[in-house]
Amino acid sequence: MADDKDVLRDVWFGRIPTCFTLYQDEITEREAEPFYLLLPRVSYLTLVTDKVKKHFHKVMRQDDVEEMWFEYEGTPLKWHYPIGVLFDLHASNTALPWSITVHFKDFPERDLLHCPSNSVIEAHFMSCIKEADALKHKGQVVNEMQKKDHKQLWMGLQNDKFDQFWAMNRKLMEYPTEEGGFRYIPFRIYQTMSDRPFIQKLFRPVSPDGHAHTLGDLLKEMFPAAIPQDDEQKKYQVIIHGIEPMLETPIQWLSEHLSHPDNFLHISIIPAPSD
Amino acid sequence: MTGERGQGSDGFCLDEGTFRLGCQLLVQHSRTLDDGWSWEEVQGSEEGFLKKTVLAVGRTGDPPAQGGSSWLGDDADTLRPEEDQVLQDKDVEEADGDEEHADSEKASVIRYEYHVLYSCSYQAPVLYFRASTLDGRSLSLEEMWDNVHPNYRTRLLQGPWDTITQQEHPLIGQPFFVLHPCRTQEFMTPVLSAARAENRSVNYIVSWLSLVGPVPTPLVSLQTGLRGHGVTYTWTAKRTMSETARYLLESRD
Repeated sequence: MADDKDVLRDVWFGRIPTCFTLYQDEITEREAEPFYLLLPRVSYLTLVTDKVKKHFHKVMRQDDVEEMWFEYEGTPLKWHYPIGVLFDLHASNTALPWSITVHFKDFPERDLLHCPSNSVIEAHFMSCIKEADALKHKGQVVNEMQKKDHKQLWMGLQNDKFDQFWAMNRKLMEYPTEEGGFRYIPFRIYQTMSDRPFIQKLFRPVSPDGHAHTLGDLLKEMFPAAIPQDDEQKKYQVIIHGIEPMLETPIQWLSEHLSHPDNFLHISIIPAPSD
Repeated sequence: MTGERGQGSDGFCLDEGTFRLGCQLLVQHSRTLDDGWSWEEVQGSEEGFLKKTVLAVGRTGDPPAQGGSSWLGDDADTLRPEEDQVLQDKDVEEADGDEEHADSEKASVIRYEYHVLYSCSYQAPVLYFRASTLDGRSLSLEEMWDNVHPNYRTRLLQGPWDTITQQEHPLIGQPFFVLHPCRTQEFMTPVLSAARAENRSVNYIVSWLSLVGPVPTPLVSLQTGLRGHGVTYTWTAKRTMSETARYLLESRD
């Protein structure tokens, strides 16, 4: 359906207006002005913040600058999660622009992965794609690709080239028609209520008797509390790319259309606002 | 001993139940040897992981400017073959006098942590590890490799250990180094198919540990000497993958 193709574009071009502010205890030679940027939801923080780094470096002494890292209201932001996931998980229902604090000291070793270069992001991204394909096709599609095909996926993301990325990514989205979907759905369910960063298990898109599994079926199995009971108020919001999809949506469709470029369906579960 | 062979025509997969059983048996046996493997439960779920912590003396450099994950490539290690024979397995707990580095002013006690998790995506066990000084500073991968004997380092680069990256521990959310599991089936297949051909039972976890054990471990090895499992495994950085495989295949009860 032509409409469904538009969904891919909408997902790809999702942006979050963001204001970067230097942490108050960083030592500067001049006052550091905040820096505003539209962040692509499907990209990674460390991949799109070169300008932020340059901006703040200008007012700092070289000696006071170590690896840059980001924090939102006291929570260090994991660069290896897609930006949209970080926003949905930590900052949904807050006023825009998203206000991120920038640090150049005291890297939180226990919380964050180091990101010394873009090649580390590329390795992480490709490792996600491989894992997703291990689930979807036993890794056969990604293994049959050539190195330049892998590069095309990465360059597509890095340079924000939708067509370049999808020309290759559509191969990762194929499946035998008679099977009605992938072998397993690559998904991760995030919530901030425990130390465990996310839930990831095996889940098939189609039930043994041939019914298409829905988002609701997935949640029932992985996080039943997220499904509202008839008689009580909604306790949680289930968010993908900033929206709350209907629980009746087939999980295979979601996997094909609302997955991030890393080929995982990232689902955030957050407490429902109490008002 | 419960034997485990992967089912299915397409290789030797490990399902989660078998993983847990293999871990349990290893922990039981480990307890009798007091060698430190334990099972950690994740709160609020039935999932968990195998864990071992080791203290050893090693060198630590200055805190690295950037903790990278690229340790490959550079040092053309000067091989000193005579030392190859000299190195022996030592019990880590007694390793308070690592002579070779004792004169270094930066010698200090390092805490190594090894976790074995189950990956449902790859249907295989995955090794997560990290090291820190006792005051809590994490070691970079480079620093960890600095504590592996140069002879071993060179050999290890030939093994499946060229795919180590820093990743988030999926159960506790902290950064660890990870040996990528995508080639696990490839190197487990010869071991398991040989066992199957001979109708011999093998604890997948024990066999697997003996193959992946030689990741950046301290010079003094993680001797575990689990015997009576159909294989004997010793965590040293001594064997290349194929050597270890051969060793495993040859070892019998």
